[in-house]
Formats: sequence, C-alpha cells, structure tokens
Amino acid sequence: MSAPEATHPLAAVATPGLRGAAGVAPLRVSLPVRETVQVMVRRGREEAFAAAMEASFGMAPPAPGHTLAGGAVTAIWIQPGGFMLTGAGPGLAERAALAFVGLAAVEDQSHGRTTITVSGPAARAVLARGCRLDLHTRAFGPGRAAMTQIAHIGCLLHQVDDAPSFELTVFSTLAEPFFHWLVEAGSGDGVVIA
Amino acid sequence: MLRIPCPHCGARDEIEFTYRGDATVARPGPDAGVDAFHDYLYLRTNPRGWQAEWWQHSSGCRAFLKLLRHTVTHEIRAVATATETLEVPGA
Ligand SMILES: [Zn+2]
Repeated sequence: MSAPEATHPLAAVATPGLRGAAGVAPLRVSLPVRETVQVMVRRGREEAFAAAMEASFGMAPPAPGHTLAGGAVTAIWIQPGGFMLTGAGPGLAERAALAFVGLAAVEDQSHGRTTITVSGPAARAVLARGCRLDLHTRAFGPGRAAMTQIAHIGCLLHQVDDAPSFELTVFSTLAEPFFHWLVEAGSGDGVVIA
Repeated sequence: MLRIPCPHCGARDEIEFTYRGDATVARPGPDAGVDAFHDYLYLRTNPRGWQAEWWQHSSGCRAFLKLLRHTVTHEIRAVATATETLEVPGA
C-alpha cells in the first residue's frame, strides 16, 4: 500500500553523529524502517480475530500493556480491541487487510507515524525527563508497551530488549519537535545518532 | 496530581486523562421538553463529597471511564468502564 516516504520526516535533523557531551555511556538513537498498521477489532468478533491472527501471523493478540512478536511482525496492544502491527515491511497493511476481512478495521499508518529507537544504559534516565511511566525493571520490561505522553507529545512506547532498547512511535508531524526534545534530554551524556 | 487507576492500563498520571464532568447526568428523551433539556444542560449538583465523574484516558487507551472521586480529599475509591454502574455513597 504505502511505500516508504521518499524523504524520512527526520532526514533534516537526524543526521548521523554525536550530539552533546562525549560521555562514556551515550544514548544510542536510530531510525528503524517501520510499516505501522492500526487494527481495530469489530465488536463481538474477538475470538474469530484471535484465530485469524494466529493463522496469519503465528501469534495471539497481545494482552493489555504487552507486545508479541510473530516472525518479523510485532503486535502492540494500544487499547481495548486495538493493536498496532509493526514490521520492516513491505506489504504489512495488505497482509493484515486480507487476514482480518470482516473482523477488524485495518488502517495503514506508516506515513502518519514515525518510529525512533533509543537504546543503551542511559535510555531510562533520558526518557524519565519527559515520560511519566515507571520504566524501572521492577515495573516494566521487554515485551511491555504503553500509550502515553512524552514531552507533552502522544507516544506509543514499547521495550524491545534488556539493553534497554525502546521503540518510540509518534505522529510524523510531531516527530521533529519530539526529536529535538530527545537530543536535548540526552545531551548530558551525549546522543549518538546512527 | 492524581494517579488514576485505569482498568486497562494500570495507574497513570492525571495528565493523560481528560475530565468530562458528572457521570450521573442522563440525556432526556426527545419529547421531554425544554425544561428537562435546560436542567440536563445546565444543572449540576456540585457535591461536597463523593461524585461519579467521567474521565477519558485520552492520551492512553482512549477509553471513557467512570471514577468515584471525593471532591474535597481527591480520594479515588472506585473506577469502572463506561457501561458499568458506580454506586455513589452519601457525603
Ligand atoms: Zn487506559
């Protein structure tokens, strides 16, 4: 459906290199290629939807506040009956639309959302400067997800691994101010943009 | 700052929510007359004590929730989804 945008929304600002101080444990930032597909299950079709998800993507719909990975596709719970499917693509929206005919509304959000990966020991401290979620290992971890606000900007956050790495998905129109905040928040120990 | 226990997301900061007012107000039927609609639109009990109120988790899961909140102490005693009912105790 949607090819990657010819120009990445952050192309002008996310040029590779170091920003801020040259600390020993800088925040690592990268811009993964993501197709982002929103899926809203129709009322009363939850069981059939779960079966279709299992058949087409090899996974159950994730529980509230969680993600699940099926092959190259990650499903993120975003609201009751609502999920975001993400993957490197291409063709994720078409796959989802075919898999969920009559069971769910499928919307390709690939151009509307931009995903930023932050990684490294500094990640929690940097995010804490603008995010009100408790991301401590006791309260959060890999496979957990949350819709929230970071630096006053609506953000879908999910933890990928123990590095720790987090994927942050924001509206593309707000990706640039969000990115400026991220670089500012991480400048104390440095931000390395891949 | 309130911490609001969303039944879907867990406890979250108030900043993620949008206050939508008294949850006990019911829209009158189409033939109820102008007085009933006046009361529906303008009259609120504004209690000093427990109040059932709408809060939408607008920056989270977007669900509409009913909260039982004390308007003096801000204590949140109960939370329910939009289709569930909340008993409002006396002041
Ligand atoms: Zn919620």
